[in-house]
Amino acid sequence: MAALATTGLTACGDDDGGGGEGADATSLKLWHYEGANSAMGVAWDRAIEIFKQEHPNVTVTFERKAFEQIQQNAGMIINSAEGPDVMEYNKGNATAGLLSAQGLLTDLTDEATRRGWDKALSPSLQTTARYDDKGVMGSGKWFGVPNYGEYVMVYYNKDLFAKHGVTVPTTLDQLTAAMDTFVAKGVTPLGTAGAEYPAGQLFYQLALAKADRSFVDNYQLYKNPVDFKADPLKYGAETFAEWVRKGYVSKDSASAKAEDMGTAFIAGKTPMIVSGSWWFGRFKSEIKFDWDTFLFPGNTLNAGSSGNLWVVPANSKAKSLAYDFIDITMRPEIQALIGNNGGVPVAADPTKISDPKDRKLIEDFNRVSSADGLAFYPDWPVPGYYDVLVAGFQGLINQSKTPDQVLDAIAKPYADGVAEIKRG
Amino acid sequence: MAVTLTPAGPARRAPDRHHRGVTRWLVLAAVTLAALAMLVPFAVMLLNAFKSPGDYSTNGPLSWPSEFYTKGLVTYWREADFPVKLWNSTLIAGSVAVLAVVVSLLNAYALGIGRVRGRLWIVGAFLLANMLPQESLVYPLYYFAKEAGLYNTRLAVIIIFTVIQSAFGTYLLASVLGTFPKGLLEAAALDGSGKWTTLWRVVLPNVRPTLAVLLVFFFIWTWNEFLIPLVMLIDNETQTVPVALASLQGDRLMDAPTTNAGALLSLVPAIVFFLIFQRTLSRGITVGAEK
Repeated sequence: MAALATTGLTACGDDDGGGGEGADATSLKLWHYEGANSAMGVAWDRAIEIFKQEHPNVTVTFERKAFEQIQQNAGMIINSAEGPDVMEYNKGNATAGLLSAQGLLTDLTDEATRRGWDKALSPSLQTTARYDDKGVMGSGKWFGVPNYGEYVMVYYNKDLFAKHGVTVPTTLDQLTAAMDTFVAKGVTPLGTAGAEYPAGQLFYQLALAKADRSFVDNYQLYKNPVDFKADPLKYGAETFAEWVRKGYVSKDSASAKAEDMGTAFIAGKTPMIVSGSWWFGRFKSEIKFDWDTFLFPGNTLNAGSSGNLWVVPANSKAKSLAYDFIDITMRPEIQALIGNNGGVPVAADPTKISDPKDRKLIEDFNRVSSADGLAFYPDWPVPGYYDVLVAGFQGLINQSKTPDQVLDAIAKPYADGVAEIKRG
Repeated sequence: MAVTLTPAGPARRAPDRHHRGVTRWLVLAAVTLAALAMLVPFAVMLLNAFKSPGDYSTNGPLSWPSEFYTKGLVTYWREADFPVKLWNSTLIAGSVAVLAVVVSLLNAYALGIGRVRGRLWIVGAFLLANMLPQESLVYPLYYFAKEAGLYNTRLAVIIIFTVIQSAFGTYLLASVLGTFPKGLLEAAALDGSGKWTTLWRVVLPNVRPTLAVLLVFFFIWTWNEFLIPLVMLIDNETQTVPVALASLQGDRLMDAPTTNAGALLSLVPAIVFFLIFQRTLSRGITVGAEK
C-alpha cells in the first residue's frame, strides 16, 4: 500500500514557464509502453541509464505500461496525483490534442526552442508535436516531442521477385506491370487486410499519387473543404477498385486483419505488402527469406508521421528533470540506438547505422521527411473515422460497392466530423 | 473462463445409469463432443504458448511447434513481474469473494426473512447495479475514488466489486431465503433465539452450499474483471493478472505466442482455485442433504 502514502500529496501544476520548475525534485516517474526488445525500448533503457549517471541524486521510477491502459485512461491518470512526470503518449487530435486542450499537458514551446528540438525535427514531424487551443495539430504550442517516425512503404519478397523475373519498380506503371506479371503466373501480388487499417492506407497511398501538400493540409488540417468526388480521392478509390478487379488484391482479404497480412508475408506467401515501418523489427527477426523495402513508387507524399510523443503532464512535480530526460532521448547516441534496432529515429545520422537494411529504412524516411512528404494517416481527421474507412474499403474489396458509392459513404462522416471540430 | 466449464459438471452426472440403452450413448457422445469443442480454444492456446514467434508467423496457429519454446513463458513471467500480479489478483478476488458473500447473506436475511417493506424495489435497485454497463460507472467511480484518496489502491477495487457482486448475491439469496421453511424459524423463536442466533445457527447452516457456490463465482468473476482494475490500478505494483496480460498487446503489433503463454499462466490459478473448491462444494451439498 505504498501508493496510499503518496495520495496525500496534492498536485500543484504551476505553469510558470522557465526551466526551473521541479529542478530540486529527487525522483522522476517515467512511463512508456514500448516492448523491452523493441527499438524504442532498447534506446530508452539506455537513455534512462544516461539520465541516472547525470543525475546521481535522482531516483528514476520506470514502469512499462499497457498500451490499452494509457489509451483508455491517460486523461484520468494525469488528472490525479498518481500520474508520471514524463510519459509516452499517442500523437493526434483525439489523444495528445484533447489532453492539451483540457490543460493537462505542459507547454513545451520554450524548452523546444531553448534545447533546439525545433531544429532537429522537420516541419511534417512538428505537425504532430504542436496543438492549437482547440487541440488541433499543426500549429500552436509544443505539447510533445517525438523521438521516432513511421511511414508506409512497400515490403517485398526478393526470392519471389527473382523467381518470377520481376524487378523493383520505380514508377506506378512499373508497379502495375510487375503485378500483371505475378497475376499472369497465378500469384496474388499484393497482400492487404480489409478488416483493419491496411486497406485504408493503401487507398490513401494511391490518392497521394495525385496529391500535393495543399490536399494534405485541407484533408488533415481542415484548411479548405475536401471534394471526395474529385482527384486525388476519386483517383484513389477508382484505382483501388481497378486493382481488385485485376486480381492484384485477393477478394478474401476483405475480412483479413493486419496480423493475417503480416504473417502471410512472413510465411513467404505474398510477394508484396504496402504497410508501415512498425513491421520492420518483427520482419527482421522472423523472416527467413531475402526481403527488402522500397518507397511507394512515384509518390512524393506518403502516409506516415512522427511516432508517439514524450509529454509532460501538467501535474508533474519534476518538470525540469522531465525536460532533461527528453533532451537525452534526442541525442545522437540514443537516436542511433533506435536506428540500429530497427526503428526510425527522427534525428539520426544514417552513417552511424551499421546494418544496410536499417540504413536504407532510415535514408528512405529522411528522404520523405526532408521533402515534407509525411501525409499522416487517412483515419486521422475526425473521431471514429477508422471504422468508416474499414467499412468503405471492405465494400470495394468484395466488390459489393462501386468507388462512387464508397466515396459517398466516407464523405459524409468526414464533413460532419470536421463541422463538429470547427464548432468545438 | 472456468464459468464455462461448470455446465460440464451437472451434464456429466445427467445420463441415468439405471437406463441402459441407445439414448445413454447418444447423450454421452453429445456431451463428449461439447466438452471437446469447449477444449479446442484451450488446446490452441497451449499449442501456441510453446511456439517461437517466427514459427507462429510462418506456420500459423494450428501447426505443431517446431521446437519446445519456453521463452514466451519466461518473458511474460519476468516482464509482467507475475508473482506480484498473482498476489494482487488473489488478494482482490479473495477479499471480494468473502466480503461479498457476507454482505449478500446479511442483506438477504433482512430482505428474504425479515420481510422489509418494499423489498421488491430494493432487490430491483440492487440488480440495477449489476445490469449497468461498467463503462458508464467508470468515471463516477474514478472521481469518488480520487476524492476519497483511494485511487490507485487495491482497496478501491475490493470495495467496488464487493458492492457489485453482493448485488447479485443479494438478489439470489433473497429469493432462496424467501422460501425458507417457516417452521424452522418459528421453532427457533420458541427456543428463545434472537435474530443473530437464528441467522448463525439456523439460516446459515442451511444455505451454506449456496454460499459456497456464490463464493466460487465471486472469486472467478472478480479474477477475470478487466475494465475497472484497468482504470483504478495504474501502478505496476497494484495491477491484477488480466491487466498485466493486456500489456502484451501493443498499438499495431501483437506477440501471439507470448500472449498465449501469458494467458496460460493467468488461467492456471483460476482453474486450481475451481478444482480445490469443487471438492468442498460437493462436500457442502452432501452435508445439506443429510439434514
